[in-house]
Amino acid sequence: VILAAGAALPYGVVLADSLLRAGRFAPAFAVVGLIGGVLLALALVFGAPWLLGWSLLIAGAVYIGVLEARGSGVDGTAPLVATGLFLCAELARWSFDMRVRISGDELLIARRAGALVGLAIGAAAASTVVVGVTALGAPRDLAWTALGAAAAAGATAVGVWLARR
Amino acid sequence: MRRLGAPVLALYTGLAAAGLIAALAVGRVEAVALATPFVLALLAGATLGRDPELEVRLAVDRSRAVEGETLTATLELFSPVGIDRLDVLLLLPEVAVVDGGAARAVSLRKGERRAIELELRPESWSALEIGPVLCRVGDVLGMRSWAGELGERQFVRVYPREETLRSLVPPLETQVFAGNRVARTKGEGIEFADLRAWQSGDRQRHVNWRASARRGALWVNEQHPERNSDLVLFIDSYVDARGTGSVSGTNERAVRAAATLAHGYLDHKDRVGLIGFGGYLTWLVPATGLRQLYAIVDTLIESDIVHSYARRGFTVIPRRTLPPKALVVALTPFLDERVVNVLLDLRARGYDLVVVDVSPLDLVAPESPLEELADRLWRLSRDALRWRYEQAGVPVVTWREDAPLAVPIEEVMTYRRLARPA
Repeated sequence: VILAAGAALPYGVVLADSLLRAGRFAPAFAVVGLIGGVLLALALVFGAPWLLGWSLLIAGAVYIGVLEARGSGVDGTAPLVATGLFLCAELARWSFDMRVRISGDELLIARRAGALVGLAIGAAAASTVVVGVTALGAPRDLAWTALGAAAAAGATAVGVWLARR
Repeated sequence: MRRLGAPVLALYTGLAAAGLIAALAVGRVEAVALATPFVLALLAGATLGRDPELEVRLAVDRSRAVEGETLTATLELFSPVGIDRLDVLLLLPEVAVVDGGAARAVSLRKGERRAIELELRPESWSALEIGPVLCRVGDVLGMRSWAGELGERQFVRVYPREETLRSLVPPLETQVFAGNRVARTKGEGIEFADLRAWQSGDRQRHVNWRASARRGALWVNEQHPERNSDLVLFIDSYVDARGTGSVSGTNERAVRAAATLAHGYLDHKDRVGLIGFGGYLTWLVPATGLRQLYAIVDTLIESDIVHSYARRGFTVIPRRTLPPKALVVALTPFLDERVVNVLLDLRARGYDLVVVDVSPLDLVAPESPLEELADRLWRLSRDALRWRYEQAGVPVVTWREDAPLAVPIEEVMTYRRLARPA
């Protein structure tokens, strides 16, 4: 329950932050965000990872949608939003794992918590670098677009390779 | 060990791909930022996870136990490469309860050897099969996992707990071998039987001088010889009314009673045999001694309820299993007509028969008026069945869950005192 609540907290913060910035579009995004929240709640109750995926996708879509609707420049809080959603995913996954009660070492919990914190810090740092590089005025030409597409394909390939290994 | 499917990899791959594609579509770097943690997690999973190497040894401290006793199962774990998270689950039958659950989670450093002790408590007699150990190995983030069954199966024979009996039902007839029972016949023995006039060939030591002096002629004492008897335990294994929770099923109680009676009679140097009458016919020819006790109990704990529609009668029982003048103690829940007929057949053939009704009545709780009506009819039919047996001179006693076995045994002895069968 603690982990599930911990997963719901950053999700709620990200959604609330997005809606507060949405201005007149807030009601429309609120409906979409509500659907995401319901999906997250269902995922946490029934332990369904695919529902978790959809809820995270919706939260991300709401955030990007709000930025697009406002038409603002690069958002400096994007690394925090990314880290929040990542923490939501990891804590939810941890809560799924803890459904089966297995007595064991306290050390295991400490190690996983440590790994999670380390990964979250690394994720925040990497996101900051990504946003920072863009904010510094990186060129936006065809080569960079191709590189972005290659990155997307590469990330997918890494996932597929891991799944098959 | 085989690799398990990892939904998290699909999830994170999908989220990362969605973020990056969205970034390309809308031209916003924030979408890339959202995807970055998931890409990082995938890379971390790729670098942290490694194929596991694990050795598991399973050992149990004893190969024999009595139900309710505590056994210790030791899992010895070793990994030459180290394991971030290892979940082990000892596969056990339902009758065995483990304090704290049968699953444990540990981590193993490189080259570390670790032993986990699990306290098992078999709550019912059985031929207990312990193991193998179900192992699941994962990395610290739970990105990838492997699973497999390791460790050799261990077998423990859990014997039924015995009831305390102060007395046993004496058979009507004894056999020809020496034993601890006083025979009804007269012969060489210790127990005084009668006085009679001296006959040629009588030994001087048997002369009762006091009676002889009073009557003016030689009178001698007669004794009852000490003989053994034969007991055949007849177990109805056609149908079992299973209990729930702490309430024992009928077969469970029948086996417990049979083990108790076998122990008691074998202690009295009687010969004890066994007939398991059900879907499979099992039998043990009557014999005496500790070895026979183990043979009986081993056969009992391996006995199982096997449903069968085949009509079987007395004729399928091997002749040597039922010696003449044997006392037959039948343990039955009276749920199968075939057993009812076989027992009446046994009585008709002159066997000394006692029926212990391992009552299933306590296991039935009617919930609706219709069920109550059916329950009343069923009870009436059981009463009618008992009456049939009583008409044949067979004592039928009921053993209920909450009463000791001594109660029905005393009932049989009372019945025999009041109504001696022909």
